[in-house]
Parts: sequence; structure tokens; C-alpha cells
Amino acid sequence: MDHPAARNDSAVSLATLIAAVAGGDDAAFRRIYDLRASRLFGIALRITRQGPLASDAVQEAFLQLWRNANRFDEQRGDPDVWLASLVRYRALSMMRRSGREVSDEGLPEAVDDEPDQLARMEASSEAAALRACLDKLPPDRRTLLTLAFLDGLSHGELAARLHVPIGSVKSWIRRSLQSLRVCLEGEA
Amino acid sequence: MSGARPETPEELHMLAGEYVLGVLGSAEMGAVDERAPVDPQLAHAIAGWERRFAPMLTAVAAVAPPDGLWARIEHAKAQAVDGRQRATAPPRLTVVPSTAAPPPAEPAWQRPAATRRIWPWKAATGASLALAAGLAAFMLMPSLAHRTEAPMPGGRDVAFVALLAQPESPAAPHQDASAQMASDTGLARLVEPQPASSTESAPEAARMTGFLVAVWPDGTVVLTALSPVPLPGGKTLELWIQPPGATAPKSVGKLAAAGQQTTLPAMPVDGTSLSISLEPLGGSPTGAPTGRVVYAGTLRQVRR
Repeated sequence: MDHPAARNDSAVSLATLIAAVAGGDDAAFRRIYDLRASRLFGIALRITRQGPLASDAVQEAFLQLWRNANRFDEQRGDPDVWLASLVRYRALSMMRRSGREVSDEGLPEAVDDEPDQLARMEASSEAAALRACLDKLPPDRRTLLTLAFLDGLSHGELAARLHVPIGSVKSWIRRSLQSLRVCLEGEA
Repeated sequence: MSGARPETPEELHMLAGEYVLGVLGSAEMGAVDERAPVDPQLAHAIAGWERRFAPMLTAVAAVAPPDGLWARIEHAKAQAVDGRQRATAPPRLTVVPSTAAPPPAEPAWQRPAATRRIWPWKAATGASLALAAGLAAFMLMPSLAHRTEAPMPGGRDVAFVALLAQPESPAAPHQDASAQMASDTGLARLVEPQPASSTESAPEAARMTGFLVAVWPDGTVVLTALSPVPLPGGKTLELWIQPPGATAPKSVGKLAAAGQQTTLPAMPVDGTSLSISLEPLGGSPTGAPTGRVVYAGTLRQVRR
């Protein structure tokens, strides 16, 4: 459940496990699955909203992990960021290919009506910094970002969802990205 | 190059941010996937946004995956590890979106660098190179047919083949071998090519190194080292692709010395060039080959 510390405790060993996977260690591969499959499946399910598609995304992400584990250290610092990226892009790619971007079918429920979607964010310093910067955005812009990043909605889906022109969505997102970058880089 | 590049660093960051957020459509995502591996600044900007947004993911509830997912992963992995394992096709527990027949390509900048040997191949002599290559392709085919879970749009047969040989060695026989493989429907029924060179002593001429390449209709490519590839310390191999008429090669990714399976960024055409260069361990820092091209060859379409 909400044990933010647990993730950090295993962060070091996760990187070690990935290094072992790069050397062909099956047991390490299994261990990563045991440690992270639920988290990654949750991320994929949030985007795809369909268990079978989420399973496919997680499977493909783990195969990518197996094939590309030796590439991890070179480009990514945080193993959890890397693993999450693998599964997110697979899930996003599936949704784009399935054509959800041109249809309202299968759109997520109105999760944006929740007062604070990010209340469950971990208590790390990175999370606190992001949270502080997100809080500086107007609430509707913050919602745009969470609907995009967590739920995987495209520009077109966001426009349909919020009943605004796609051009407005694009410029809101760009402005939000600019503010976030200035805010986060400034605090770093 | 293709498309208009964003003019300012700010625009680059915006594009990367949109990509990481996931708001881009399929074509725009694909364009970033294509560009990132040859544009270190874009790749760096993407990594930055992934890091910035990552804490949000901790707000997503973990959900236990269905029983059986691990078995599926293990099965798929076993087939990727060793093409010789002729296990039965994995049980298809789920469906893919109907419009998504080919397995989605990996983001190209995440691609490369598998170290697993697809096919442990021992030395092939020059005289039997074509035969060996044909045999390898023939033997790889059934295992690859099992590999993918989604049906391949163009069938299960190899679409393109190539032999990547040392550029300084006589090129003609290798070209011939590629063309002959492509035109031979049986692939295994290949005849031997002409002798490489009458001026070299027979054993030297016969000692071949290089890679056999087979490309499937879904863009899957399998590269198999024909004999152990000597790698200088601190170096890695990187694979490059260059369609006919293109001005510069694009990186496909780093390549394991024994060969590996990966995915091409786009389907090649007959005559697309492949080359393998020696690069620093992290891959080419510039997006273009920086080291010596050790193997090169041309993809030929298989005609049936």
C-alpha cells in the first residue's frame, strides 16, 4: 500500500538486479518481476484501462528489460524511472495504435473529478519539488498534466474531454511545461 | 534530414515534454522515436522530463498482474534468448488491438544492445559462406516464426537478407551471395559463390568474419555473427542503416558482438545499406559513425 520508503529501500538493489539481468541472470530477472510487476501493471492499467492490454504492455516492457538491461546505466540514473518509462511507452503506443485517440470509447472515467489525484505521491524530495511546482499551476492545467501523464490522454483526447479546441490544449500544455521546467530547474 | 527541426532549445524541450507526457499522436510519437537516437540533445531532454515527472507515478495504485503473466514473459524470453528452442507458441492469453498487427517498435533510443546470443555460430569458411548463410536463415526461420505473438502482416518468411562483410575484402562475392539468397526461394539450396580472390592464399581467403542479416516483414531483424568478432577494448559495435539516396546513415543501436535480434526503425527497401562501426562503449556520441566501419553490406529483397 502506501509505503513510500519501501521503494527507496530497494532502489539500490534494483539497480544491482538490472546489472545482473544484463549478465543473463534469470533469478535477478524474476526478482525484478516480483518487486515491480504490480507497480508497472498498475501504471499500464491506468493508461490502457484494459487488463489484457496492460498485460501486453508489461510483458513487452519486461522483454525490453531483458534485452536492454546492459544499456541502463549509461542513460538513466533511477532504475524505477527507467522501468516505468519502458512500460508507459508500450502502453501509450498501444493506445495510439488502437485508435483511441480519435474516439471517446474507452476513455478513462472522470478521475479528474477527484479533489487531489496526487495525494498518494511518495514523500521523496523529488516528489515534493514536483508537487510544489505543480501547485503553482492553475488547477485545470494541473489536471491536464495528470490526465496526460498518468491516464495517457493525447492532445485530441484532452480536447474532446474538456470540450476545448485542440489548439488551446496544446498551448496550455506547452505553457505548463515551461513553467514546470523553470520551477524545477530553479529549485535544483 | 526529414521534417522541420525545432529552432530553439526551448522548443526542443517542449517537444520532449509532450513526448514524455504522452500527448502526441501516433505519427508524432513515431517521429520522436526516429529522431531521438540520432539527436542526443533530444534524448537528453526526454530523459530530463522522465525524471521530472516520475514522482507522479508513485500516485498510481499498484495492481497485481494476472496469474500467468510471468509464465508468458518467461516463455517469450526463452524464445528470444535461444532461437533453437523450438517450444510451442506461447498461449495467447490476450488480444492486441485489431489495428496493431505488428508488435509495436521499441522507442529507438531505448532499443539496442542486447547481449544475448541469438545463434551461436561457429566459423564459416568463405567457400561455404553462402551455404552457411542460407542454412542459418533457414534454421532461424521456424524459431522466429514462433517468436512473435501477433501475426506478422506479411507472413512469416524473411523479407530481406544481407551479408555484412569487411569492406576491404573483395565485395563482389558477398553481393552475389546476398542476391542469390534473395532470389533463391529455398534459401538453403544455395550454391557456392565464386572464389573470393585468386591472389590470396586459399586459407586466408576462406577465413570469413561478418554478419548474416535477415529482416522479417514486421521490421524484426536478426543479425548473426558468422564467427567470433574481435573487439578492441573499450569498443562496441554499432549498427547503421542507410536507405538508397539517403545522405547519411542512421543508428539502429549498439550491436552485441555475437549478433542479436532488434527492430529496424522503418522497413528497408531493396538496396538499403547496413554497416557496423566500432564505437565507444556508450555508442556513437555524435549520431554518426565515429569509428572504422568494420562490416558493411546491402539488403536484398527476397522474391518468391
